[in-house]
Amino acid sequence: MSTVASIVATTDLAILVYFLALNSFYAVLLVLSIPEIWEQTRVAEDDDFQRLMQSDALPPITILVPAYNESATIEASVTAILTLEYRNYEVVVVNDGSRDDTMEKLRHAFDLYEIPRIYPETIPTTSLRALYRSRSRSRLTVLDKENGGKADSLNAAINASRFPLVIAVDADTLIEPDALLRLTRPFLLGREIAAVGGTVRVANNCTVQDGRVTDARVPGRLLPGVQVVEYLRAFLFGRLGWNRLGGNLIISGAFGLFRKQYVAAIGGYHTSSIVEDLDLVVRLHRYLRHNKIRYEMPFIPDPVAWTEVPESMKVLSRQRERWHRGLIAAMWTYKSMLLNPRYGRVGMLAMPFYAFGEMLAPLIEVLGYVITIGGFAFGMVNLSFALLFVLVAWGYGMLLSLWAVVLEEVSFRRYRRFGDLVRLLLFASLENFGYRQCTVWWRLKAFASVWKRTHVWGEMTRKGFAATP
Amino acid sequence: MAVVQGVLLGSLVVLVILNRWFRLRRAARVHPRRLAVDASLRRWIAGTTPLTGVLVGLARLPVTLAIDTLVSWSARVPGERWRRLAVALEQQWWARLVRTNSGSARWWKRLESARFLSVAAVPSDAARLVRLINDTHPAVHIAAVAALERIENTSLTLAALERLPRLPPTVQAYYAAMLQRSRPAVVQHLGKRLRRVDDPALPRLTEFAGRLAEPALRECITALAEHSDREVRIQVARAMGSFPHRESVTALRAAAADASWEVRAQAARSLGMITDASTLPLLRAALRDEMWWVRLRAALALMRFGAAGRNALLEAEVGADPATRNVAKLVLGLPAQALAEFAA
Repeated sequence: MSTVASIVATTDLAILVYFLALNSFYAVLLVLSIPEIWEQTRVAEDDDFQRLMQSDALPPITILVPAYNESATIEASVTAILTLEYRNYEVVVVNDGSRDDTMEKLRHAFDLYEIPRIYPETIPTTSLRALYRSRSRSRLTVLDKENGGKADSLNAAINASRFPLVIAVDADTLIEPDALLRLTRPFLLGREIAAVGGTVRVANNCTVQDGRVTDARVPGRLLPGVQVVEYLRAFLFGRLGWNRLGGNLIISGAFGLFRKQYVAAIGGYHTSSIVEDLDLVVRLHRYLRHNKIRYEMPFIPDPVAWTEVPESMKVLSRQRERWHRGLIAAMWTYKSMLLNPRYGRVGMLAMPFYAFGEMLAPLIEVLGYVITIGGFAFGMVNLSFALLFVLVAWGYGMLLSLWAVVLEEVSFRRYRRFGDLVRLLLFASLENFGYRQCTVWWRLKAFASVWKRTHVWGEMTRKGFAATP
Repeated sequence: MAVVQGVLLGSLVVLVILNRWFRLRRAARVHPRRLAVDASLRRWIAGTTPLTGVLVGLARLPVTLAIDTLVSWSARVPGERWRRLAVALEQQWWARLVRTNSGSARWWKRLESARFLSVAAVPSDAARLVRLINDTHPAVHIAAVAALERIENTSLTLAALERLPRLPPTVQAYYAAMLQRSRPAVVQHLGKRLRRVDDPALPRLTEFAGRLAEPALRECITALAEHSDREVRIQVARAMGSFPHRESVTALRAAAADASWEVRAQAARSLGMITDASTLPLLRAALRDEMWWVRLRAALALMRFGAAGRNALLEAEVGADPATRNVAKLVLGLPAQALAEFAA
């Protein structure tokens, strides 16, 4: 019995130390994000920069819009993208063999006419049915192709793009009118940019008019509400903190700008990957480091895209399970980069954090719950230790979520109403009681899926923006 | 420990709420002052009130807001009147403080100073502005270079011109736009620099010279047409489109046969801008280039030749070569706006 007790106590202590280390690393990210957000807001508010950003000097951009069965929203989404505040850009929409009338809607709404293909297929994709341009919108090109998935569509759009910078945008994502201008800021600052990511925020409960979020609100319901806090935490201090550490591994697939030459050099998006954006960014790091190319992949917080998040447990669980499955797959595929000094901070810091921190966290957390509860029940763990575990695992998490709200409040203040602020604070406090344990469970299921080699995308059910108040 | 953590969490919540409250109060206090300054500036421009009212109003605003006000009004006030305001501001305590900050160790203070001087500099600020143009922080030097819009000073122009080749393309284009206003000094200096064939800044300087489209620089640019650096040849081929001259056409004929496809593409584009009828066969031949981008540029260039170019494309559209056929079909079908966008 004493041997078992000693094993339980040691394991519990090890888990406690693990959580302390993990949360302390998050705290480091938080501390690093403070000067970063301060600098970024300072430059973002500068009028001269605004003037420069509206000049002809800006680099031309191709916006890639993959669409699969988007009949209900495609016209509004593409119209909104075509009215962004940016001088020099084109839009390439890819109809990925939709089974509904997405293509018909596009053809009718934008007066499309067929054109021959003059560019080479730099990245192999499924076969192209036809290529169209619009008579009414000179910036628009539409590709109609056989179904091949999102990654394949993005590759087809990259092949058809004319400009050196490409930005992948989901057809159901709402981009703020000045987001492209803001996203190009690092280029204006003279940095050697390989890719740059902007913020994705939660659009549920916001007022949407003509494809634009006109009034940002925090949802009243728990599930989407907590996700607002999660997104704030992930973007406002997670990625900003990584800017200072130079190891940003995630640039959101819903809103990220890439230098096309590098994306083409690594063969574009992997069609077999589960989370194509993470996979792409890791491969970009690997390629650029291999070839000793100086580069940065910063995240900048003020360009904003809005997306709808799941409001039901079922859809959310599928989404989170898939994200985690993608993380496990990426960590496994690129394990040679882990703790490899050849990859600099990415290999020595970012990869270990994602592998041992983000990927293993649900396993260890569940183990912690089981051992602490079991040990407490059998008298092998005392009450003060069990409380300490809860404090470290949950209390620290709550502190970090609240800090994310603080960062939002001192920088961008998108949620103007006092009621929204109170909701944010409330959700940041409630997140650790129930919701956190659910996400742990969903992420744990991802390990089982990987073990069983299940590869299911998981359909995202959306309410659509037209129904929002 | 639990108590400490609880207190910490509680204080965070209080901090967030207090911060919101404080900001709202501050905005309520400052906003009317800003409106008052806007009103007095309007009256001053109309000539119904003396400048003193504006100066007093500006002094009552927080410095950042005062600078914002000046920046936003600077484009709306006629030059001579604005110069009077700039001179009057020289004596203001807060403006003196902002000027002093041009040497601050903190970049945001220097940025504030650069923004202020970009709209309110007087001739005696030239040395300060040169220092700010050479600043290491991009936001600072970008703000400072805007002063070239208002001040004509050779040392300032040369400082910006020296910096230009070392800047990334986007910022370079912005500098170029600012430098266009100081054309005589720029042309003279650029002429000298373009003669140094081993200057590593040559590609960027050639690009800038192309943007200026200054006839006095044509000879210097044409002389670089056979430069060993591919990047220089690309920029020369692009720049020559702005100089419709027979020497340009001769140089572009050679560029159209360059080993680098980027040079060939730019040559085709420039030939389209000059539209010399004798180059039509050259562009027809370029429609069969091995690189699709050159074929596209040649087809777009042909569209600028009017009926002759269009006929050439119509012939190509029914020709034997599928690649040529496709590019001709694409370009012939482009609406006018799309053509302009493609050709840019």
